[in-house]
Amino acid sequence: MGFLFESLSHALAMIISLDGEVYRTVWTSLYTSMTAIVMAAVIGVPTGAILGLGRFPGRGTVLTLLNTLMALPTVVVGLVLYGFLSRQGPLGSWGLLFTPMAMIIGQMVLATPIVANYTVAAVAGSDPRILPTALTLGASRLQGTWQLLLEVRFGVMAALVAGFGRVIAEVGVAMMLGGNIRGSTRTMTTAIALETSKGEFAFGLALGVVLMTVALIVNLFLHMLQRR
Amino acid sequence: MDSILSLTDMRYSRGGDFSLQVDRADFAPAGIYLLSGSNGAGKSTLLHVLALLLEPNQGEIRFAGQVVATPKDRHKIRQQITLVEQAPFLFDTTVYQNLAFGLRLRDVRGNLQHERICRALKTVGLEGFEKRHARGLSGGETRRVALARAMVLRPRVLLLDEPTAGLDTDFLPIFEQCLTSLAARGVTIIMASHDSEQPRRLNGTVFHLKNGRLDSLQANNESSGHSDYFQQRHCRIV
Repeated sequence: MGFLFESLSHALAMIISLDGEVYRTVWTSLYTSMTAIVMAAVIGVPTGAILGLGRFPGRGTVLTLLNTLMALPTVVVGLVLYGFLSRQGPLGSWGLLFTPMAMIIGQMVLATPIVANYTVAAVAGSDPRILPTALTLGASRLQGTWQLLLEVRFGVMAALVAGFGRVIAEVGVAMMLGGNIRGSTRTMTTAIALETSKGEFAFGLALGVVLMTVALIVNLFLHMLQRR
Repeated sequence: MDSILSLTDMRYSRGGDFSLQVDRADFAPAGIYLLSGSNGAGKSTLLHVLALLLEPNQGEIRFAGQVVATPKDRHKIRQQITLVEQAPFLFDTTVYQNLAFGLRLRDVRGNLQHERICRALKTVGLEGFEKRHARGLSGGETRRVALARAMVLRPRVLLLDEPTAGLDTDFLPIFEQCLTSLAARGVTIIMASHDSEQPRRLNGTVFHLKNGRLDSLQANNESSGHSDYFQQRHCRIV
C-alpha cells in the first residue's frame, strides 16, 4: 500500500509541477484525438444523417456493418492500417507510418462508426415533422437535413463525445501506427504502457490520473447532453 | 382564369390501407378553398400532396401551368407554396429565428427581414414575442407563430390544416380577416376545416371528402341553408 501512496503522491507532484514530459504526452493525445474526431465528424455525421433519414436497399446491411465496426478491436485497425502505411504497403510512399497523422487516421477509422451510429439514433429518434417543416418553408433537402441536425444537435454532440472517449483511451492504434516515439507520437496510453514496463510507475500513474480526469470530464459532458 | 395549382388523375397510396384519388382539381389564384370531411378522410394527405411533400404514385400536378416533374421543380415551387400543419413544429430557437428561417432561404435579410417579421407577428396578435423561445409557448401561441411563419414568406399558395383548432375564439375573426385580405392580395388559400360556417364567412369553395370519395362543392354566395349553400362542381376525388 505504501508503494501505491508514494507513487500517487509523486504522480500528483509531477502534474502540479507541470512536468514537461507529462504535458507533452497529454498534448499529443489531445491533439491527435481531437483531430481524429473532427475528421470522423465530417464523414460520420452526414453518413448517420443519410442512414437515419433514408430508406434504400442495403440500408440494413450498412447499419449492421456499422454496428460491427463499433466493436472493432483497436489492434485490428492498427494491423490493417499498418499493412497499408508500411513501406511495402500500397500507401507506403506517403511516409505516414510512425507519425501523428498515421495515428489520426487510425483513430478516425475507430471513431467514425461510433459517430455515425449515434447520429443515426439521434436522427431516427427526432421529431418526424422537422424535415417537412423545413421543406415547406422553402428549404432544399440538403438545407432541411442541416436544419434537422441543428435540431438534434445534442445527440450529434453526444456522438462526438462518445467517439472522443473511445479514441483518447485506445492504445492499439497509437502503439502500432505511432510507434510511441517520445516527443512525437507518444500518447498518454502508450506512455503508461511503456513507463510501467520500465518500472517508472509514478510517471505512468501521473498520466493515468490525467487520462482518468479527461475521461471523467468527457463522461460528465456526455451525461449532461443526454439529460437535455 | 388559369389555375395556380391543379391535380389531374392523381393517385396516392400509403401501403395497402389508404389511398387518395383525385380525377381533377383546380385551384384558382386568390381563391379560398376548404376541405371538409371526417377524420381519416384524407384531408391532411391531400394538403401534403398539394404542398409537394408527398409524391403521388401517378398523375400530374401543375403549378402556374407548369408540370411539377423533377425534385428540382418541387424545391423551386415549394418556395411559393407553404403548409401550416395541424400540429405545427417550431424550431428549437426563438420566435424571431423561426420566422427568419424561410426569409433567409429567400435571401431576405437585415431591416427588411426585421420589418416583415414584426409585421407578421403583429398580424397574428403576437407583437413583442420576437425574443421568446418557441418551446415556451402555449398551443395557441404555437399555432399563431406557425401561421405568421408561413405568412411572412408571402407564398402564392397557403395551405392550412385545421388552423382554427385550439385558437382563441377572440382570435378567430382576426384570423379569418387575415385570410380574406391575403386572398384579396392574390394568395390562394386551401384549408382543412371542420367548421361548417367557415365557408360562408370566407365565401370559399368546399371540397368534401367522405368515405374515401371526395366531391367538389362551391360556395353559393349568401344563400341560406347548407343544402342550398353549395353546389356540385367539376372536381371529383375518389
